[in-house]
Amino acid sequence: MTTEALYLQQIINGLSLGAMYALLALGFTLVYGILELINFAHFNVFMVASFIGMWALELLGLSGQGVILTGFALVGALAFGFVVTMVLAGLLGVAVERIALRPMRAVRGTAAMITTIGVSYILFNAVLLTVGADSKNYPNPMPDMHWDIGGATLRLREVLIWGVALVLMAGLHLFVNRTRLGKAMRATAQDAEAARMMGIDVDRVIITAFFLGSALAGAAALIFGLYYNYTSFIIGYSAGLRAFTAAVLGGIGSVTGAMVGGILIGLIEALGGQIVSVRWDDVIIFSILVLVLVFAPSGLFGRPSATRS
Amino acid sequence: MLSRRTLIVQLPALALAGSYAVRAFGADKSVTVGINLPLTGADAQAATKIKQGAQLAFDEANAAGGVAGYKVNLLVLDDGTATAGQYDPAQAATNARKMVSDSSVVAAIGPQMSGSGKAMSPILSQGNLAIITPASTNPDITNPKMAAQYRPAGKAVYFRTVTTDAYQGPNMANYYADTLKVKSVYVLDDSGAFGVGIADSFQTQAEKRGIKVLGRDQLNPKEADYTTILTKIKPMNADAIYYGGVAQAGVKLAKQSYDILPKLIKGGGDGMHSTDLLSGAGFPAAEGWYVTIAAPHVLDKPEVAAWAKRFQDKFGGPPEDYSITAYDAGLVIIDAIKRVAAAGKEVNRNNVRDAIQASKVNTLQGEVSFDENGDITNRVVSVFQIRKDDKYPLNDTIHQYKYVGVAPASS
Repeated sequence: MTTEALYLQQIINGLSLGAMYALLALGFTLVYGILELINFAHFNVFMVASFIGMWALELLGLSGQGVILTGFALVGALAFGFVVTMVLAGLLGVAVERIALRPMRAVRGTAAMITTIGVSYILFNAVLLTVGADSKNYPNPMPDMHWDIGGATLRLREVLIWGVALVLMAGLHLFVNRTRLGKAMRATAQDAEAARMMGIDVDRVIITAFFLGSALAGAAALIFGLYYNYTSFIIGYSAGLRAFTAAVLGGIGSVTGAMVGGILIGLIEALGGQIVSVRWDDVIIFSILVLVLVFAPSGLFGRPSATRS
Repeated sequence: MLSRRTLIVQLPALALAGSYAVRAFGADKSVTVGINLPLTGADAQAATKIKQGAQLAFDEANAAGGVAGYKVNLLVLDDGTATAGQYDPAQAATNARKMVSDSSVVAAIGPQMSGSGKAMSPILSQGNLAIITPASTNPDITNPKMAAQYRPAGKAVYFRTVTTDAYQGPNMANYYADTLKVKSVYVLDDSGAFGVGIADSFQTQAEKRGIKVLGRDQLNPKEADYTTILTKIKPMNADAIYYGGVAQAGVKLAKQSYDILPKLIKGGGDGMHSTDLLSGAGFPAAEGWYVTIAAPHVLDKPEVAAWAKRFQDKFGGPPEDYSITAYDAGLVIIDAIKRVAAAGKEVNRNNVRDAIQASKVNTLQGEVSFDENGDITNRVVSVFQIRKDDKYPLNDTIHQYKYVGVAPASS
């Protein structure tokens, strides 16, 4: 393997990580954009969704890597997995909003954010106590297809990740910019009070944001499971923090920023591990978080905070 | 070996006979034995097997009328926490304080993990409470040079029914060099006390044996992605990787290295000898891994079959090798309590510790005795290879780990 091939391979790895972080970062950014709330429950909505995806695939009779599907059966199984996981994850996000956050809406300050931390721990421990602490062997029906590109290996699962991420991000972009509800979201993000006065149903907008964000986390969760053939109750924490860093780097509240930030963090993680050492990954990534927060709090694509109030 | 075999067969009978003599003391006397294991978290399954081994020893003794007239109660504490997702040294320290503050606790079994052992040992030393570990192998804890740190009160309190990574790591390096003919290796650890220690001792011996160490890096057990480091290793054309660590990172390493480095020889220590690896990584990813345990492998021996059946009948699942070392730890404590009582001394933790130090006990793995630091005098490291056997459940450690021999000691 040549040096060029090695770096190409790390870029492939980094883009796959980045696509996952981007999908997850979108959930932080959508909710923050509307409510100016950092939703820490999102970490573990992602984790729960990975189990939902696992059970959905197991419902189809898949277990471990023993059953390999091809052609329409594969597409059908994956489509079923994504639809079920995204819808149920979306509903979980909506439930979190209805049960734990809506009653806090009138409370000023950090109470709502702290509530999301509580919800996150509830989800975390509920999964730990019900499904157990052991690592799960994730069902994966994808055949071992791969292509050689300049000495690097591109596997089917990477193509799937990029494909799904691109489709979902393009869909979200169209939704936010081309639909009535998307317009209502943008209006609410700019000024919730004015939007309400103009007759926009703000509650509906908020529910939409939670549903979409959590559904995207659901897609990220299934991708995660299929990529690593693994899930466990602890996956929310490290993936969630990195995705959050991605959202901040891109400019929290900005949809484009979350996408770009996610890809950047993925690439930084892979190339940082290659050039420095993987044990320094956390130091590198979270230094970026701190530096962005200190020197450029609005991130790459965020609006300067002066225009918000 | 005949005498040892007969002794093992007679062991339950001996326990029975011993108890008859002292039943007259009254059945309302009791002592407590503490148990500390990570019963929640990534190592929960292996920890449960260890707990069951210890529990079986005391249940059998209690059923036979107690130990020297004492009923043995167990104080089972969990050092796994949700925030760590696996063993948590801070929780282990708390548990050690709990044991020390309960004066009915005369001895303890555990921990599974060396990181917990390092946190517990100083506290137990201050309380002069002996603990016997059936699984933790980091040598620092019993190293006389580090006595000020791990046994500030002076006396050995940390005993082991397994040997240490001072043998487990280097002996595996010898096995890599002699049997597997490895010429170059990349070494990884999981940043825990056990993982770093065993990887260090492996690496030192590997270098001595002329194996080229191509690099060393650390996996974060909470992270999911190891493709970066594995991709980095790929162009180095290593013959093998060696992983020091426990299952939480090990499962992901096995899975991802199967994809990225399918042809390399892969090996690890006893942290990789667990149900968690088989069920979490699954086949084919786990296939071919070489792992060691820091004890002689006796599960295949016919004289242990009856014991294994009692274990299976009671707990509904098969024992693992460290269920045996845990049972042996139980036998050592039972024997110590008996000797204290027989000498007419009070059964308290001071006397039980002294009795454990002087142990010469026949157990499932043979005679157990300790050196002045608490280390077992019998230093055998057994090597296994994971080989799929469809005839048995795929997470059955007894049948999916094939015993391939003893890792040679360094001369």
